Amino acid sequence: MQPPVLSAMRLGKRFPTGVQALVDVDLDVAPGETLVLIGESGCGKSTLLRMFNRLEEPSAGEVQIRGQRATDLDPIELRRQTGYVLQEGGLLPHWNVARNVELVPELLGWSATRRQQRRDTLLELVGLDPALYASRYAHELSGGQRQRVAFARAIAADPDVILLDEPFGALDALTRVELQEEFARLKARLQKTMLLVTHDLAEAFRLGDRIAVMRQGRILQCAPPRTLQRQPADAYVGELLAHAPEVPE
Amino acid sequence: MRCPRTLTLLVALLALTPATGNAESIVVGSKNFAESRILGEMFARLIESRTDLTVERKLGLAGTQVCFEALRSGGIDLYPEYTGTGLVTILQESPRGDAAWTLDRVRREFLSRWDLWWLAPLGFENAYELAVPSEVAETHNLRSISDLVALAPSMTAGLGYEFAARDDGLPGLERAYGLRFGSVRTMQQALKYQAAGERVIDCLDVYTTDGRLVVHDLVVLADDRGFFPPYEAAALVRGATLQRHPEIGAVIGLLTHALSEERMRQLNLRVEHEAEPVERVAQDALEALGLVGARAVDTVSSRHRSLWRYMWENRRDLGARTLEHLFLSGAGLLLGIIVAVPLGLLLERRRRSAEPLIRVVGTSQTIPSLALLAFMIPFFGVGARPAIVALWLYAIFPILRNTYTGLRDAAPEVVQAATALGMTPAQVLRRVRLPLAMPVIMAGVRTAGVITVGTATLAAFIGAGGLGEPIVAGVQSVDTTVILSGAVPAALLAIAVDALLGAIERWLRPRGVGR
Repeated sequence: MQPPVLSAMRLGKRFPTGVQALVDVDLDVAPGETLVLIGESGCGKSTLLRMFNRLEEPSAGEVQIRGQRATDLDPIELRRQTGYVLQEGGLLPHWNVARNVELVPELLGWSATRRQQRRDTLLELVGLDPALYASRYAHELSGGQRQRVAFARAIAADPDVILLDEPFGALDALTRVELQEEFARLKARLQKTMLLVTHDLAEAFRLGDRIAVMRQGRILQCAPPRTLQRQPADAYVGELLAHAPEVPE
Repeated sequence: MRCPRTLTLLVALLALTPATGNAESIVVGSKNFAESRILGEMFARLIESRTDLTVERKLGLAGTQVCFEALRSGGIDLYPEYTGTGLVTILQESPRGDAAWTLDRVRREFLSRWDLWWLAPLGFENAYELAVPSEVAETHNLRSISDLVALAPSMTAGLGYEFAARDDGLPGLERAYGLRFGSVRTMQQALKYQAAGERVIDCLDVYTTDGRLVVHDLVVLADDRGFFPPYEAAALVRGATLQRHPEIGAVIGLLTHALSEERMRQLNLRVEHEAEPVERVAQDALEALGLVGARAVDTVSSRHRSLWRYMWENRRDLGARTLEHLFLSGAGLLLGIIVAVPLGLLLERRRRSAEPLIRVVGTSQTIPSLALLAFMIPFFGVGARPAIVALWLYAIFPILRNTYTGLRDAAPEVVQAATALGMTPAQVLRRVRLPLAMPVIMAGVRTAGVITVGTATLAAFIGAGGLGEPIVAGVQSVDTTVILSGAVPAALLAIAVDALLGAIERWLRPRGVGR
């Protein structure tokens, strides 16, 4: 087995407000794997995600990225090598689509020509015609289009790790399914290591190679969808999975 | 990138700033009532016509304190003052002797303490006195202040602001005569006559040389206990100025004992009651004394003219006032931006101390404008400088508050995304938070702009000019036309500045923000 790209060891996080967000979390994400963190609001899944690009720092335990301690890495460098998509996309409203997609390449100092080529390739990859959309602004796009741009932006500098924080959470049901399917195709094609946070069970089953069920700052069970469904670790997981869709053999 | 645009704007504003400070010129001041203005204008004209010096006028400064501070700090070189005022208000001594004693006393004290010189008296006294409508005097058989004492508790007195507070005014009168009015209303000198005519007030303080005593049918009550000190009018000049230009002493000396009380009353009446321009009245008086040659006075009277006609005929002066006004408020605003925006940036990184500090700065808004302006004089003299400093203080708060909250509340999810993708904090600030906060910051600048344009009308009280000048002068002579000739352009200017800043805001606002 290859060494994990992302790992958390006995990770704990206590906020200054006294809230214990994470307790003794152990987690490994293998190269090319898509791991989904699922749980109710406030279970600590987003906090765990944000540990991997150092938007949050642990108060106990350790985060490792490609075998290196996260605290030994420069956070700015680390973030530029890590894709990130959040719920509402977080597109810079005062920059057009082109500039948004070119953001990380620009920070990395790529030449203008290289950036433009990359941008056009990516926009086509996520299904947006560069000629039509490159000069648009966020407020001129639909919710689904914004998430497509956000995804293109996340993979612009070709990071091997992508963190996604409820990327489809704010979309209407139809658009969500459409984007999830497209995402599944892209995922197969790109072979990236992905950590995805959601509270949508169907989404977790559709996209996750493995699913980690979280509750009150702990990981209750982390396993492939089918194992999860057949051998739930405890009553909570069982209850949760009772509503899960059939997993194809 | 918005930087080039912001820079362009700054450079443009700086280019508009007129160069200040000119070659040797003598600054003549006066207080803000007709007689003081006439005398100040006479001094100015005499110096202009009989020496090679150029004269700058700062007429209509708000009261004794402002004039005196201005003189002491070198903001003005001379102004007309009264010996009694020098003794009681400035030296804070109680009156003890006659006119000659008083003059001698103030001369010696002013010279040794501040190197200020009282030139020879102009020939008339202008003391405070109490007056009542003749009808009241007849009904109650009032002749002196002593007669008034019994009746006063049932009376309403209308008094000037200074008189009500000065030791040689009401407080002293209360001690000397046991005089207690039923109620006291303080109001502008000019308004008191109207109030007495309408019997809103029954008693008022007047000046000996007040032209309106005759017109308004008032009876002056005798000061039977000799409470009011002698008030001989004379020029008060800086020693340093006299040393550099001894000719000033000689020229003003031509007015020694040249003006009688009767003569002064007539001159005052022309300004106060007939709305004649101070410049013409002063010129006529000097011509009549044979001190200057005949010369047409290039000013416009508001008499028998509609507001628009008056404003049109007076357009050159109003244009200059408008420019002064714009300069004062523009400089205050610009300095406000230069200080408040960086301070807002700094506070945003020190949030714990931000709220208390912003609240402290906020109290600056509650200081009455006139008080703030007057407060500046000891530090900055008179004229544009203290006015700009005061306007600057007013401009800081709205810009600071909006910069701080604009940055603090700038779209958190966007800031998070920018951080998560690897922007450094400095990049996040410059490329994300500042552009996103721009509409809020500019709204603060707009508020500050309207405040400074509005408050700049008060700058006239400390000799900084602006559109407040005609307003102050108009209030003095109860001349609505003159008041409006300043007030209407000032209001239009506020609207225009707001519209202009609004346009700049739209220009600076990044596409995609604030919709």
